[in-house]
Amino acid sequence: MKNKDIAIIGYSETKIRHRTNRSVYDLAGEAFSMLLESTGIEKSKIDGMSLTAPMSEANPFIANYMCDTLGLSPIWLNLSALGGCSAIGGVARAAAAIRNGDCETVVVISADAPSTRILARHGAYRGEFQDPIGVQGPPGMFGLLMSRYEHSYKLIPEALGKIAITQREHAVLNDNAYEKFRKTITMEEYLESRMVCDPLRLYDSVMYCDGANAVIVTTTENAKKMGFKKMVHPVAYSEVSNYNGDKAAPDITETGFAYAGPTALKKAGMTPSDISMFQPYDDFTVAIMLKMEQIGFCGRGEGSRYILDTDLSYNGKLPLNTGGGQISAGQPGLAGGGLNLVEAVRQLFGEGGARQVPNPKNAMVTGIGGIPYGRNWMISAVMILEA
Amino acid sequence: MSTAPTTKPAAKRPIPTPNAYCDTQAFWDAAKEKKLLLQYCTETKQYQHYPRPVSMYTGKAKLEWREASGKGTIYALSITRVPMPGFEDRGPYPVVTVDLEEGCRMIGLLLNCKFEDAKIGMPVRVLWEKLSEEFNYPSFELDR
Repeated sequence: MKNKDIAIIGYSETKIRHRTNRSVYDLAGEAFSMLLESTGIEKSKIDGMSLTAPMSEANPFIANYMCDTLGLSPIWLNLSALGGCSAIGGVARAAAAIRNGDCETVVVISADAPSTRILARHGAYRGEFQDPIGVQGPPGMFGLLMSRYEHSYKLIPEALGKIAITQREHAVLNDNAYEKFRKTITMEEYLESRMVCDPLRLYDSVMYCDGANAVIVTTTENAKKMGFKKMVHPVAYSEVSNYNGDKAAPDITETGFAYAGPTALKKAGMTPSDISMFQPYDDFTVAIMLKMEQIGFCGRGEGSRYILDTDLSYNGKLPLNTGGGQISAGQPGLAGGGLNLVEAVRQLFGEGGARQVPNPKNAMVTGIGGIPYGRNWMISAVMILEA
Repeated sequence: MSTAPTTKPAAKRPIPTPNAYCDTQAFWDAAKEKKLLLQYCTETKQYQHYPRPVSMYTGKAKLEWREASGKGTIYALSITRVPMPGFEDRGPYPVVTVDLEEGCRMIGLLLNCKFEDAKIGMPVRVLWEKLSEEFNYPSFELDR
């Protein structure tokens, strides 16, 4: 099953900042320019683009406007509207298009600035069946999800605290992380951080920032022809939307990762113990724990114990979000799904600097997209990258 | 109310916008008479909530409205510590996901109890809140 015919040959990332007053176009331009500079690739060689649909614009033509802004004339264009799965979903779709012969070299670009402005509106049923209740969007739904987990299994607050603390330690080592978050926190500070939506604490949660990131995807053959020595291969991808979507009262502690995790591992011919580092999409700490259980790093309900027993630091047994993740580097809106992807590529290139994972063979990156009515999340995606 | 008023609301609590995404007129007409309607899939004989243009079970528009008992049990429970705009006068307030007797779920505010007293698994019943002359809104209270 495993195929190394597709390669990611470069990455770029802006520093994450709060309330930049900059547009998606401006931030994407910065990431695009950095990518061309760092790879030495001519803009004319890029014949495909996948753009992450951001929250800070409300324009169905945004991918077209972005081509115009960047001076690109792609023969394959994709608006990746998969929320936090948009970046890895964009890489997977780019790989399929390249294999299909639609294009050869794709830039997958994500930019968003929700701390500056949010123009996107969810609409749908929310105006009638959610907004009048006064439930706090994502924290409210995650508070409900955590309460159910706590009811069904053992939820040890110190385990989630360990995730928050470890990721902070990693953010300290990441120059691109939001500056205010680049200081460590103690377990006491975690436990005393205020409740937002019980049992969800402030330090369990992300904060909106602004930023952009990008990667270039092409064929391995083309990468070698162009003289690239460093490359990583997306060897497996799995995604599911609206998991359990035809059930009116499913177990909400079971997420789409119960499908996407094992499926991606099977496609890669791997087991969880083969994974060199885990770069999961982190909107809230409990999402990481649920993924660990459902991808298979530990059993259902064993997440707290597993986290407490496992060294999650960059040089530990299972390095976790080595750039700090979104919780500690800041969440550049829906570009946040590219943060963990870029960190995985950086690490596999051996460019992790002070937080370099020792001799990594591969990385698992995940995405989460959207939060529905009374369930967990709308999209679950898993990508495995190999050096 | 679960707690005494703290501050005056800066914004108004959102009022539902019926029929904005599908036909929900029957739901709100019944709500005015303090009756809870749910959509019923006539093919699979199962209920669903929130209302949709089609059955979530079959994808077909073979649906009818049926009156529900308004009774259920708490499936999930969270305390909202930072009130949404329009809810500032409530202080911290409990939000619940309820397993309705009919087999589907509904989210709502839990009223008339100290939130320390509410637990997952407890029986609840619908309590209608008057939002305006036009709208009663379904919330819940403990069924004891």
